[in-house]
Amino acid sequence: MSTPAIPEQRPESGGSLGRTESICPRCKRLLEAELLDQGGRVMLSRTCPDHGRFEAVVYGDAARYREIQRFDKPGTAPLERQTEVVGGCPHDCGICPEHAQHTCLGIIEVNTACNLDCPICFADSGTGPRGHGFSLSLAQVESMLDAFVAAEGEPEAVQLSGGEPSIHPEILEMLAAAKQRRIPLVMLNTNGIRLARDPRFAPALAEIGVHVYLQFDGFDAATQVAIRGRELTAEKLRALERCAEAGVTVSLAAAVERGINEHEVGAILTFGVEHPAVTGVFFQPVTHSGRFRIDADPLDKLTNPDVIEAICAQLPDWFRADDFVPVPCCSPTCRSATFALYDREDLIPLPRLVDVEQYLDYVSNRAVPDLAVREALEGLWSAKAAGGSAPVAARLDCIACATGMPPELRDVAARGFMVVIQDFQDPYTLDVRKLRKCCVAEIAPDGRLIPFCAYNSVGYREQVRAEQAIRNGAP
Amino acid sequence: MSTFPADGLEPLPSLSDLSSDAGRKDCCASVYGHREEGWLLGDELDPGGEATTRRALELAAVRRGDRLLDVACGHGASALLAAREVGCRVVGLEYGGRAVQEATASARTAGLQERVSFRRGDAEALPFEAESFDAVLCECSLCTFPDKARAARELRRVLRPGGRLALSDVVVEDPRLSAELRGPLAVIACVGAALPRSGYERLLADAGLPVLAVESRGEDAALLARRVHDRLRGARLLGVERMEGARLATADAIELVARAREAIRAGALGYAIFIAGD
Repeated sequence: MSTPAIPEQRPESGGSLGRTESICPRCKRLLEAELLDQGGRVMLSRTCPDHGRFEAVVYGDAARYREIQRFDKPGTAPLERQTEVVGGCPHDCGICPEHAQHTCLGIIEVNTACNLDCPICFADSGTGPRGHGFSLSLAQVESMLDAFVAAEGEPEAVQLSGGEPSIHPEILEMLAAAKQRRIPLVMLNTNGIRLARDPRFAPALAEIGVHVYLQFDGFDAATQVAIRGRELTAEKLRALERCAEAGVTVSLAAAVERGINEHEVGAILTFGVEHPAVTGVFFQPVTHSGRFRIDADPLDKLTNPDVIEAICAQLPDWFRADDFVPVPCCSPTCRSATFALYDREDLIPLPRLVDVEQYLDYVSNRAVPDLAVREALEGLWSAKAAGGSAPVAARLDCIACATGMPPELRDVAARGFMVVIQDFQDPYTLDVRKLRKCCVAEIAPDGRLIPFCAYNSVGYREQVRAEQAIRNGAP
Repeated sequence: MSTFPADGLEPLPSLSDLSSDAGRKDCCASVYGHREEGWLLGDELDPGGEATTRRALELAAVRRGDRLLDVACGHGASALLAAREVGCRVVGLEYGGRAVQEATASARTAGLQERVSFRRGDAEALPFEAESFDAVLCECSLCTFPDKARAARELRRVLRPGGRLALSDVVVEDPRLSAELRGPLAVIACVGAALPRSGYERLLADAGLPVLAVESRGEDAALLARRVHDRLRGARLLGVERMEGARLATADAIELVARAREAIRAGALGYAIFIAGD
């Protein structure tokens, strides 16, 4: 006699995954929308009365999409909200009373000028004279930082971006102003050209305590030409060398586009874990908003599970798909992350040593063994985390301690290498329900905290740019 | 680099002692009684963990109020589960004294001390009267007993007529399993001395316990081996050079588990639940 095994429970496939709202990519009008499982991928579908039907892939793996909804953590209110509900989401950002989440990461774009003219730029920045360009003053940035502190109390992470923020004449003062507000993780989002050319820049960042978020899309000349307009490897390597010498920690940020550099994700990760300055890698499927002079088909968009699959296929000895755990603060489909331990011989993702999914599951009726561990994991699986930052090291240590990891192991465990895959929404993929729980905000010069994907998709970027251009007396 | 201190553990056998039966018993009990290695190898050292335990109890039709013996019960997780979820009266028997102390403490913490007790003892000479249990649970341990036939006869002796044995164990389906996995070092990894399915069936039948049902749990074995492999890699990476309980260099342990994973993939190794009784 033999008893059959209990069949594995698989979520059903096909059909609707629920209703939401989206916008028309042309006229930005708010539209009823539906999420559908089509051939195992999640599609967002809606019809504009003037411009017709629009569909886009929003998640490349429908089964995983269903499964990870259990990581959807209930939102936390910010201390302050800056706007009223007038036109309805997403036209009242922000943060309006309908928003369901506070802000983990604030972004300040200090300028629109750049020393590159990339074919892909959601900020539509560049080198030439721009009709609607701006460059913020130190006083403006200080008031924006104050607005962020007022909303969050003790914000943990801010990123100065652009344009190319490193060419702003007061960038060091701006970074120092963020540090003075006791924000532990102050990041500079840069293409690295100034770091490579100016030997004094990395030591200056080290003195302030800045973490560099370095655009790094791959090694192939074709990749760099397609995404950045020219080959940049020598400058990137020089920038990293200078950061290593100065003791500046770096996260590599790779824009990943289907058909351009998916094949390089493994090489970027391997390079990152081996480089002394690099403490993490962020993979970002390219956002099809602002400027993108490439063929981008919304029906074939690269999404998080596609990047995870590429990583696992290229580095099978290091990673499996379940090493990448969704970040619970935002929508679980926005961002997946892992922390890895590495010693030049082998690499082990942290979820193989600690059952992270069990702690970050907010739906299944399972007891959480230790709430302090959950809290620490929530701080690690978060938009406010970057490899090597002090709060990240403290949280890794907490987990090592609370899970009974022997003391001898804890110091090493605190040196986690962070790998993040984060998909930002564009006018084709914008899901308003997800947007309401966004925890990454563009801080506007008037102190509004505008969810990043709304800023890029709904028209806020253009609005802020026009306001600043008038303020600066630009033509 | 560091090694775990072995404070408070039972004296370890030397590597050469592993070829003797007594040495093997000591070593096995020591490895599985070692807390730090317990962390690294995972809390659940049996394939499938609690799910397999529940399934074994279900297949053996263990009921509320039954007298259950858990042989080689380790830290007592399964014994506590049977008491908590099924409502059995359980005795856990374990060769390692430290594990018995910890299991006893766990029973108190769980408020189950009225229904569960733990004691030291040898599966080949069970310290119980004949026919004193309604059911016997023996998880992932028979394969490590030096004299399996004697242990099987002991299991039969303590079961009442009509009682059920729920045995889960490593199954070696391929007689050509590599020599390294068959060697004395592998005994403690529950691999080297395991039998084929037909071997367990014959062993139990010869002891008067004909096998009534077999359920393969090969997937559980693959997942456990993968997890142990990952955790050992983590241990080496975190600076643990030796598995003190196993008296084994971490690098060698990693190699051993990697070979076991290959054997599982090839179908040479597996895991199964056997239900036996007259």
